[in-house]
Amino acid sequence: MKYASCLTFTTAVLMATALPALAAGQLNIFNFGLYTPPDMIKKFEAAYDVKVTLTEYDSNEAAMAKIEAGGHGFDIVVPSASVVPIYIDKGLLMKSEPSQMSNFRNVNPEWIDVSWDAGRHYTVPWVWGTTGVMVNKKVYKGDINTSAIILDTPEELKGKVNVVPAMNEVIDMAIGYVGGQPCTTDKAILKAARDKLMAAKPHWASIDYPSFEKFIKEDLNASVFWNGAAMRIRAENPGFAYGYPKEGFSLWQDNVAILADAKNVDNAKLFLNFIMDPENAALISNYTRYGNAILGSEKFMDKELPNAPEMNIPPEFKTAAHFLVTCPADVQEIYTRIWTDLTK
Amino acid sequence: MVERGFNVKRLPGAALMAVTCFVILYIPMVILVAYSFNSGKVIGNWEGLSLKWYGAAFQNAAFLDAAINSLILATSASVLATLMATMAAIATTRTAKFRGDGTIHIILNQPLMVPEIVLAIALLIIIGQIKQATGYTGLGFLIAAHTTFCIPFAYLPIRARLEGMDLSLEAAAADLYASRFYAFRRVTLPLLAPGIMAGFMLAFVISLDDLVMSDFLKSPGQETLPTYLMGELRRNLTSEIYAISSLLLLISVLIVAGSWVATRKKN
Repeated sequence: MKYASCLTFTTAVLMATALPALAAGQLNIFNFGLYTPPDMIKKFEAAYDVKVTLTEYDSNEAAMAKIEAGGHGFDIVVPSASVVPIYIDKGLLMKSEPSQMSNFRNVNPEWIDVSWDAGRHYTVPWVWGTTGVMVNKKVYKGDINTSAIILDTPEELKGKVNVVPAMNEVIDMAIGYVGGQPCTTDKAILKAARDKLMAAKPHWASIDYPSFEKFIKEDLNASVFWNGAAMRIRAENPGFAYGYPKEGFSLWQDNVAILADAKNVDNAKLFLNFIMDPENAALISNYTRYGNAILGSEKFMDKELPNAPEMNIPPEFKTAAHFLVTCPADVQEIYTRIWTDLTK
Repeated sequence: MVERGFNVKRLPGAALMAVTCFVILYIPMVILVAYSFNSGKVIGNWEGLSLKWYGAAFQNAAFLDAAINSLILATSASVLATLMATMAAIATTRTAKFRGDGTIHIILNQPLMVPEIVLAIALLIIIGQIKQATGYTGLGFLIAAHTTFCIPFAYLPIRARLEGMDLSLEAAAADLYASRFYAFRRVTLPLLAPGIMAGFMLAFVISLDDLVMSDFLKSPGQETLPTYLMGELRRNLTSEIYAISSLLLLISVLIVAGSWVATRKKN
């Protein structure tokens, strides 16, 4: 090995990478994996002559840890509604006033005065979804709109049930099942929810993010699941259906925000406005299989999407929906204890 | 009577045990590679042989960017680590014993002992500050971090080689009035080359496969193959992921095999 040539090469690489990207326009997006449609990014790049980099994370916690450490270099992040207040409290988000942007008129009014960002001073909706119950109707003939499928597992589903490791969603579901409200401080309700979960656990196969083929091949026949994922599975195995537990289920939204220390603020604002355009919002829904909050986007969606049962909460179950939030610290601590017991 | 000594191969069931271990170790990877050639979307259903997921991978710009990043990173980090490890190994074996020799050895190898996540968190904080202060967010930070934990992987085979080499050859060169540098260049270095090659390739593979450090330290647009795969995993699995994983596996296997051939030939 020739040291000289190694050194030259290394120097060259260091110099090449040392130059910050000085393209006319740059935008650095930090989002969950497989969540940003490449065709939409291309369209944005072409429309505004901006070079977009997309970097991915796999959890809200991982993203926040990096952002808090500083020097991250990202302009845009996509936090879930449950963590938006934490981001705002820590001063990590820029008050970019999306409500003043031209495409804001397309935002469905239902999604404007939300608890995590009332009036939308920081965030723009990305997609929303629900955490319900997915079940194979070939195996189970009963009512699908109940969390009894998970918590009082019917005989035919025993050993075929999965629960996704989403702590608040699962515990909220159990609290709703025993008659309480999410983030309740009522110890009796919390205890009942815990006991219900512990009693149900022996009938479950796993607490996991299962690979889709386990459902498609019917190794698993029911799961606490997200609506968009359930739609993907139904496309491969039409036996599966998605239910909205009448005892209560979580409604969530992921939101696009500009970071307080963003370098490319103008481009980031352009992007926020861009995704509130119905045509672009439809690209997001087509790719993620989740609903967006932009009025008029339905007509640009894949034809199977707007009327899919997974995308439309039946009116009779709307009252059972509650927004997924991070509970106050003392309740959150009890949740964590319940979860630790459950997953032990 | 001749004492035959202990030979593990003669233990009853040794072969069976070895085969079982290898099967358990490698079956999952064999399945992964096999299904990367599946024409269907779902892993459990074999729907025929196809290269379409490899085609999809090579048309996936995000994957290609990640692959390029990974290669630049692994090459730079392993070259730097090998360079430093070689100098360190020579300095610790071709000198008279000195105080602190053991300490140096321990410090050099500390990335092997310190849990990677701890080092990653420490670097996340410090590098975050440096990024803020300087405004530089290039690949240099990842290269420096990868170099750090690659050094012991390059150092150990190089040092082992140096310790196994016959000192009399270097002494003979000196006796024949070779200058110290000339002796190093014409005697030590050629004999050491397989060790350096092995160390380099090991360092390369370690850097290529690293997830934790890259995930903590990556700046915008610095997705590497492992962090890219991790980001995709949570949402959906198509067989494209298996194709990409198989490609990563292939590179690692090629490099390790190359390293093995390089060390073996000269012995």
